[in-house]
Amino acid sequence: MALLVATTLALVACMVMILARALLGPTVYDRVMAVNTFGTTTVMMIAMVGYLMGRPEFLDIAIAYALINFIGTVAVLKFFEVGILGADSSSPSEPSAREKPVE
Amino acid sequence: MQHDLILRIAAKLLIPMIMLYALYVQFHGDYGPGGGFQAGVIFAVSIFLYALVFGLPAAMRVFSPTLVQALAAAGVLLYAGVGVVSMISGGNFLDYGALNPGDRALGEHIGVLLIELGVGITVAAVMIMLFYLFASPIDADDSGGH
Repeated sequence: MALLVATTLALVACMVMILARALLGPTVYDRVMAVNTFGTTTVMMIAMVGYLMGRPEFLDIAIAYALINFIGTVAVLKFFEVGILGADSSSPSEPSAREKPVE
Repeated sequence: MQHDLILRIAAKLLIPMIMLYALYVQFHGDYGPGGGFQAGVIFAVSIFLYALVFGLPAAMRVFSPTLVQALAAAGVLLYAGVGVVSMISGGNFLDYGALNPGDRALGEHIGVLLIELGVGITVAAVMIMLFYLFASPIDADDSGGH
């Protein structure tokens, strides 16, 4: 039990540092990286809290989070790269969209 | 995104697993966390990933907007149909026990399963439709902000 609590506290410390990087991050890629890592730590956090509270079925939620966390990152990166989420992959990405300033 | 080999391979590996997990959440909803709404969203997310990596036209070849509209309606029809059938069988609207008068517990089980299936189909279809609308390119003649 003490080991579980110690691991959870360590995860909380990691999450605080990742949040700091997400807020401070000079470029947008730092922020995207921080959000992705935050999602990964959240998956571990859900699993740890599940075992701490004696409800191992939290693992189901952790798996769903792990599968979906990846897609948010892909969507944000594609938005900054192409500008349109549904851009066709077979045609080369329009260079004009890349130059466009993204707010 | 035609050079992103790693992303393409990862997406091809992940999409079937996400779909399988959606089915697990759908049919395991009685015993664990989950249910029709969550399963529908998870299933729709696999289509989002496909559209993000391989482009919206490729996703629209798999799930055409017409099919998505039909599915959105079919889920509601299944939901309401179960309610009406239980009403015809002598119970109240959505009184699943009346579906199988001999064994009411079995009837409730079947009813909940069908209701959740209807919810899952509708939620997945509506989520995919929303994504299609957000992800499709804006028309040139559509006078927007710029």
